[in-house]
Amino acid sequence: MSEEPTLHSNRSLTLRFNIPVSRTHEFWDSLRDGRFVTTKCSQCGNVTFPPQADCPKCMGGEFEWVDLGREAKLVTFTRVQVAPASFAGSDPYMIAIGEFPNGVKVLARLEGVEQKKAKPGMRLSIEARSEKGGNPYYVFRGA
Amino acid sequence: MTRVAIVGIGHSRFGRRTDVNVGELAFESIGEAVDDAGVDRSEIKSVIVGTMGSWYEESLPAVVVNEYAGLSGAGTMRVEAACASGSAALKAAYNSILSGETDVALAVGVEKMTEVDSPTSVELIGRAGSYMWEFENFGMTFPAYYALYAVSHMSRYGTTEEDLARIAVKAHRYGAMNPLAQFQKEITLEKALGSPVVAWPLKLYDACPLSDGSAAAVLASEEVAKKLSDTPIWIKGVGYSSDTANLSRRSNYVGLEAAAQAANRAYSAAKVSPGDIDVATAHDCFTIAELMAYEDLGFCKKGEGAKLVREGQTEIGGRIPVNVDGGLKAKGHPVGATGVSMAVEITKQLRGEAGRRQVPLKKGLGLVHNVGGTGHYAYVTILSRD
Repeated sequence: MSEEPTLHSNRSLTLRFNIPVSRTHEFWDSLRDGRFVTTKCSQCGNVTFPPQADCPKCMGGEFEWVDLGREAKLVTFTRVQVAPASFAGSDPYMIAIGEFPNGVKVLARLEGVEQKKAKPGMRLSIEARSEKGGNPYYVFRGA
Repeated sequence: MTRVAIVGIGHSRFGRRTDVNVGELAFESIGEAVDDAGVDRSEIKSVIVGTMGSWYEESLPAVVVNEYAGLSGAGTMRVEAACASGSAALKAAYNSILSGETDVALAVGVEKMTEVDSPTSVELIGRAGSYMWEFENFGMTFPAYYALYAVSHMSRYGTTEEDLARIAVKAHRYGAMNPLAQFQKEITLEKALGSPVVAWPLKLYDACPLSDGSAAAVLASEEVAKKLSDTPIWIKGVGYSSDTANLSRRSNYVGLEAAAQAANRAYSAAKVSPGDIDVATAHDCFTIAELMAYEDLGFCKKGEGAKLVREGQTEIGGRIPVNVDGGLKAKGHPVGATGVSMAVEITKQLRGEAGRRQVPLKKGLGLVHNVGGTGHYAYVTILSRD
């Protein structure tokens, strides 16, 4: 298909968001301390990940924090070869969904496992990361 | 309650359309649909524009499209249901007639995805989920979301990369017969299997392209439809549903629950069952998505999608031909346009106007399965000749 002439716009638009996290900031604070926690509704006991201040099950607004521990098992995974613009230049990376013993599932990068050796059911551990000057985050590692 | 029919259809050429802006692109299908319906534009009291946007320059696409097509003054809105925005537009137009608000409504689906560079498009679709928990720290991409499903389906049911590649080969075979398709070239199984990996196990030929395109449908109430058209195609039932933004909150990764639920709702609204359907379009943004659609729609049992592919049952002449317009894979996937494009294809089929791609009709029933995001939104629409 032939390319027609286009007018390359002179205006560019950069979007960078300030994302509110105050109602569940303990999640991010705990990550800095190396702990992986989430919310549990004080009214109905529903555990939710991602953490949320209002219970989606009973609509209750009181909650407590529970530690999910470290051990999880691999549910499914992929290896990303073609990255989005804001991850340009990164080497191919693996992403997994892991399930904790209480049934809570989490999506995160998977490190230390070769794609050919990754298998649903295998044991993983979650690791909190916080680098100087950066936001905390978390990754799965092969156990 | 009145019945509602599609009485006019229009469809632009899909592909990398650097020759037209969004208004011009939408007009290609709007003009054709209005002509096909033989309706005066003043009769159209409601125009619903399905588009996801943000990859092209306009912030208010509905009014830009309406201005270009001389439709300003009609009641209008832009609707978004990601890659199912087109079906959402059809649903809203259908509702505007069912409610008695108007006798004639126009559903337009349009998208221009190639005005930004490809990595930016990949970024925008990669954010289509739950931003903080899937994108910010992890860099999910659209193929990666579906790859999570593919790995799970392969592991549980023994579906293979070759089964998925066969779906791509089928799509290209029919795309080669569709003059409006982005790719009109057949491919071999070897070529599909040998293409570069984008998100393992999905390869380039498992994925739909980035596309520009538009499609439009004029809908009318029963009384007006019978006056306007000798071949009105009736909307017999619409089912829609949704699922969690976070994939991690889903119970499994072997099917799209929202799609299965939408299908059940559509079958029950139309009072038909999967075996009654003559022809279907399924949302094959990735080959694994089409395979899961067979199962979610009840065209086969759970876990038997690959068997259906191996037996050729979803080709013309098979039990249930699927995506004989080339599907998203070969026809192209301008996301907002896709749902309307699917309805246009099924309307052509049910009118008997699909030419070389015509499927033999028994009951005169066709189905549109349109998914937004990774099963975040799901719409199933059942169309009927009678």
